[in-house]
Amino acid sequence: MSPGRRDVLLNIDGLSTGYGGVAVVRGLDLTVHAGEVVALLGPNGAGKTTTLLTISGLLPILGGAITVFGESVAAMAPYQIAHSGLAHVVEDRSLFFDLTVQENLRLGLNGDRAGRAKAYERAMEMFPALQPLMSRQAGLLSGGEQQMLAMARALVSGPRLLLVDEMSLGLAPIIVQRLLPIVRKVADETGAGVLLVEQHVHMALTVADRAYVMSHGEVVLTGDAQKLAKRRDLLEASYLGSASL
Amino acid sequence: MKDLIAYALLGLGAGGLYALLGTGVVVAFRGSGVINFAHGALAMYSAFTYDELRHRGRIALPWFDILPTHTLNLPVHITLKHGPMPFVPSFAIALLMAVLLGLGCHFLVFRPLRNAPPLGKVIGSVGIMLYLQAVAVLNFGTENRQGESIVPNKPWRNFLGLGKAFQQNKLWIALFAALLGVGLWAFYRYTRFGLATRAAASNEKGATVLGYNPQLLAATSWVMASVLGAIAGILYAPISGLDASSLTTFVIPSLSAALVGSLSSVPITIVAGLFLGMLSEGVAEKLPTYGWFPHWLSSGIKQIIPLFVVIVVLYIRGDKLPVRGTISQLRLPRSPEPKHLVRNTAIPVAVVLLLVNIFTGPWELALNTSMIAAIMMLSLVVLVGYIGQISLANLTLAGVASFSVARFAANGKQIGLLPVKLTGLNLPFPFSAILAVAVATIVGIVVGFPALRIRGVQLAVVTITASTAITEFYFKNKTLVGQGAQTATPVRDPSLFGVNLGIRSDKGNHLTDRWQFSVFNLVVLVLVALAVANLRRGGTGRRFLAVRSNERAAAAAGIDVARTKLLAFGISSAIAGIGGVMFAYKATTLDLSTFNIFSGIAILAFAYLGGVTSVSGAMVGGMLTAAGLITYTGNNFFHGFDKFSQAIGGISLIVTAILNPIGISAGLQESAHAIAAKFRTRGGVTEILSGVSP
Repeated sequence: MSPGRRDVLLNIDGLSTGYGGVAVVRGLDLTVHAGEVVALLGPNGAGKTTTLLTISGLLPILGGAITVFGESVAAMAPYQIAHSGLAHVVEDRSLFFDLTVQENLRLGLNGDRAGRAKAYERAMEMFPALQPLMSRQAGLLSGGEQQMLAMARALVSGPRLLLVDEMSLGLAPIIVQRLLPIVRKVADETGAGVLLVEQHVHMALTVADRAYVMSHGEVVLTGDAQKLAKRRDLLEASYLGSASL
Repeated sequence: MKDLIAYALLGLGAGGLYALLGTGVVVAFRGSGVINFAHGALAMYSAFTYDELRHRGRIALPWFDILPTHTLNLPVHITLKHGPMPFVPSFAIALLMAVLLGLGCHFLVFRPLRNAPPLGKVIGSVGIMLYLQAVAVLNFGTENRQGESIVPNKPWRNFLGLGKAFQQNKLWIALFAALLGVGLWAFYRYTRFGLATRAAASNEKGATVLGYNPQLLAATSWVMASVLGAIAGILYAPISGLDASSLTTFVIPSLSAALVGSLSSVPITIVAGLFLGMLSEGVAEKLPTYGWFPHWLSSGIKQIIPLFVVIVVLYIRGDKLPVRGTISQLRLPRSPEPKHLVRNTAIPVAVVLLLVNIFTGPWELALNTSMIAAIMMLSLVVLVGYIGQISLANLTLAGVASFSVARFAANGKQIGLLPVKLTGLNLPFPFSAILAVAVATIVGIVVGFPALRIRGVQLAVVTITASTAITEFYFKNKTLVGQGAQTATPVRDPSLFGVNLGIRSDKGNHLTDRWQFSVFNLVVLVLVALAVANLRRGGTGRRFLAVRSNERAAAAAGIDVARTKLLAFGISSAIAGIGGVMFAYKATTLDLSTFNIFSGIAILAFAYLGGVTSVSGAMVGGMLTAAGLITYTGNNFFHGFDKFSQAIGGISLIVTAILNPIGISAGLQESAHAIAAKFRTRGGVTEILSGVSP
C-alpha cells in the first residue's frame, strides 16, 4: 500500500499554532491520505491536541497552512470545517450530558434520510454495547461507554476525515484494545482518513499505517508504523528528548 | 378560603405575564448562555410599538435623533397613516420590531461579548435595558398609556360563584402561557433546531465540532425570545397600563420563575410564573386584610412571598446549576496584590485635597458623589472581585444604613425648613453611624445565606429579588423608617467634638460646599480603601481568592467555604453600610427612589467597568458613576445632551464592556505588564502573563 497515490485529505504545511499568540507547535508538516490511519504520538505537552484543535478550527493558525479536502481552513469557521466532512472526537469528548444517548447520536447525523439510516446502522454495528443504553442520559454513562458514544457520534456523520484525540484517556487497556481496531475498520471500509492521537504507543502502532512523533512542538520522528514499532530505542529516545536521533 | 381562591385567580394575569417573560428568559439563556435582564425592556418597546401604531399609525425606531441640527436629522419616526391602524398590521409590525430588537441584541451586543466572563454579559444586558428604557421615554413620552385588550375582555360578574368580578383577559393570558409552554417543550424535544439548541447549551464545543453554528442558534433564540416578550407585553399592557418602567421591572419576578425552572425547563418556568403571579399579585393582596396578619409586615409582603418561594425551591433542590461548556471563556481578571500602599495613597489624597480647595458648588458635589460611589464599589471589590459572588443587593444595603442612621440620630426636632419631624434614638454621631453600619451588616449576612447553595449569575437573580423585598418591606415601612417613609426622610448632620462635619451650609437650608464634609468623606474613603487593600494581602484575602477560583478545591485545602462566604458578605455589607451613611450625610434628605434596583445594577456595572478586582478599579468606577466627576465634566462640555444621558450611558456600558471585557483598570494593568514583559527577560525565559496553558 503506497499512500502517495491516494487522495490527500489533510495537508499541513509549516504550521505554527498555540495559545494567546504564543506558538506551542512550530513548523509542523503532516499529511493524511484517504483510507489511511496516521498516529500522532509524543509525550505530554508535545502539542498533539493543540494540532488537532487547530485543524478543526477551534484554535487560530499562527503560521503556515492547513488544507482539508483541498481547501484552506484558515478562513473557515469551525462548524463549516465540520460540515465539509471532518469529524473530531475531542479530548474531553464534549458529550451533551443532559441529552440521551439517542439524542446525542441524532445530532451527529446529516445528509438525506436513507443515508442517515445507513450511517446509523453502521455505527450500531461497530458499537453494539450502546444499543441497550439509547434512552439513558449521556452524563450517566461510564467512561468507556462515553468514549464509545463520542466515537459513534462522530462516525454517524459519515466523515471523510476523522480526528481522534486520546481515545484511551482514563480507560482500562482492555477497553482500548477493543476500541482501537474500530478506527482501522473505519479507514478500511469507508476509505476515510484517520489522524489518531494516542498515549498507548504500541497499541496505536498496531493499527496505524504511519506515525509522527512530536516533542516540544516539533516532529522529531516519522515513518512507517511497522518499522517504528520495531525501533523501540528510537521511540524511547524521542520521548525522553535524547539528541541521538 | 373562598376569598383567598378568588384573589389567587385575580393574580392569574400577572402570573401569565411572569410565565411568558420567564419563558423568554429561558429561551435566550438556552440559545446564548446570557441571563437577560433586558427582557422586560424588550417586551416594553415592542408593546409601545404596537400601541403607537394602533393609536397614531406611526413607528418609532429604537434609536433617537442625537444630531443637534434641525436641517439634518436621523430618521426616527415613520408615519404609515395619520390615525389609528387596524389590529393585524399593527401586531405584525410590532412583532417585526421584536425581531429587529432580538437581532440587535445578538449581533450588536452578545456576539461581540461571546467570550466575556458571565458578569460582562450581565453588564451587556443591563446596558440594553437602560438604553431601551431611555429611548422609550424619548420616543413615547412618560405618560402611562391604557390600550384596549386584544383578547376578549368582558368581565364575568360572579366568576365560578366566588362572588368576585373577573376580567376575562387574565384567563386568556394564562391559557396562552400554558399552551405556549407545551408548544415550546415539544419544539425543543422533537425538532432538529430545538435539539441542537439544547446540545449547544449543554456543550458548545461538542455542537461546533458536529457542524452546528452556535452563533446562528443564538441569533435565532434571541429573535424567538424577543418575539415572545413582544406578545407578552402586548397582551399584558392593557392590564397594567404601559409606560417605560413597569414592564421593564416585571423582569425581576420573571427571572425568579425562570430560575425555578433551572433556566432550562419551559414547562416548570410556566408553572412557576403562574404560581408566583397568583401568590404575589393575588394572595398577597388579600392577606393583610385578615385580622391576624401583623400590620408591620403588610408593606412588602408581595415581594417577600416570591423571594421566599425562590430561595426555598433553590435551596431544597440545591442541584448543580446549568453551566455552559464554552470553547473559550475569559475569567474574572486577576486580583493583583496591592503594592506601594503609601505612594498609591498619598498621591490621590494630595490630588483630592487640591481639588477640594479649587472646586466649588456642583463640582465639589460631583467629587463627593464619586468618592461615595467609590466606597460602594469597594464593597463590591470584596464581594465580586475577591470572592466572586455576584450580588446586586449592595446599594439596597447602603439604603438600609442610610435610613437607619437617619432614624438613630433623629431627635424629633425640625431640621432647617424640612417638613418631616423624624423621631428616633437621638444618638450622637459616631454611635448612630456605627449602629447603622451594624444593621446593614446583619441584613447583608442574611442576604448572603442563599449564596451557600446558589452560585454565579443565579445568585445575582436571588439578590435582586431580595433587594426588591427589602425596598418594599423596609424603606416603605413607617414602623421602621419613621414618619418620612415614602416622602422625604431628613438626616441630621454629623459632628465630632463640636466640629460640624455635615455638608449643609451653616446659613439656611440649601446645599453648598462645606470643605469639612469633603475632607471627612476623603478620610472615610482612604480608611476603607486601605482596609480593602490590606484584606487582599492577608490570609483572609487569600482564602477569598481560593473560594473564587474553585470552591471544591478550596474546601479540599481546608477552607470553610460557608464561613468564608458569610464573612465576605459581612465585610462587604459593612462597607456598603459605610457608603450608605456617607450618602445619607451628603444627600441630607432620603427618599427611596435613590435606592432602586436599577441604580444598584448600575453601580455594579460601573464597578465592573472600572475593574472590580482591585482597589484602583473601584476608584476608576467611582469617577465613571452617574453624576460623578466624569459624567459631570461631560455634561459641562456638551450642553443640551442631558436628555440623552441615560441612553448614551446604556450604549457606553455596552461599548466599554465589549472593548474591556475584564474592566478598564485591569485592562490597563495587563497592557502595562505586557509591554513591561517585552523588555524584561529573565535568564532567557520570557514571562508569560496570561493564565493559559496548552
